[in-house]
Amino acid sequence: MAASKKTMTLNLTEAEMNVLESLCAKKELSKTAVLRQALRLYQIVENRLEGGERLFFEDEKKKEKSEVMML
Amino acid sequence: MTVTISSVFLFSPQSGQAEAAELWDAITEKQLIDWEGEWLPELFKALQRLRRAGVERKHWPQSRHWDWRRKTDALQGILANPGFSVVCGGVTQGMMLVDTTTKRCRLDSQKGKNLVYVSFVESAPWNRKELLFDPLRYRGVGTILFRAAIELSRQEGNRSHPRPG
Repeated sequence: MAASKKTMTLNLTEAEMNVLESLCAKKELSKTAVLRQALRLYQIVENRLEGGERLFFEDEKKKEKSEVMML
Repeated sequence: MTVTISSVFLFSPQSGQAEAAELWDAITEKQLIDWEGEWLPELFKALQRLRRAGVERKHWPQSRHWDWRRKTDALQGILANPGFSVVCGGVTQGMMLVDTTTKRCRLDSQKGKNLVYVSFVESAPWNRKELLFDPLRYRGVGTILFRAAIELSRQEGNRSHPRPG
């Protein structure tokens, strides 16, 4: 079962490509897989922010919580 | 919404034969109408049977609370939560929602790696022996849905794949 896919060309700076390659190595995923994950995550964050929620990072050890400001 | 439909087979204990079925890579209005019009009446009857048979409430199926319409509406269009369903004999036999994005592997050897997490999976009431249906209408629904989750995980390039918990 494979949904049909569309192909696109992506232009990245060297720094962006380095980050992408680093994430691919860390996650053991292809570039496409990492970018698809990023898109999904971005969509979740956008939807929840639009719904009035806020995004936080929490450090349980330090008991610190910081909001990620999405402007 | 484009739905990809694949051919699969379910086993019918009543006929002793395999029956042609369909695996859909979506939960559509058809599935939700089947859930409301076919599953729920059978589920309520099954709960009555469990009660009359003296089965303790804590052993009743957790999924009796699940509202598939609400779940599906909440996740409509969300890329991270694709749905799947199995149709046989013109009726939905099972549904599943997965999470491809917000869960990570927790075993030390795979820590932090991506995975496909099965958030909800349910077979139609008449396919479940714990609801005291005898004979069952179809067997193999859960296996097909888990197989679909594994295949999705493979397509994603993940190293570890879903398995029943």
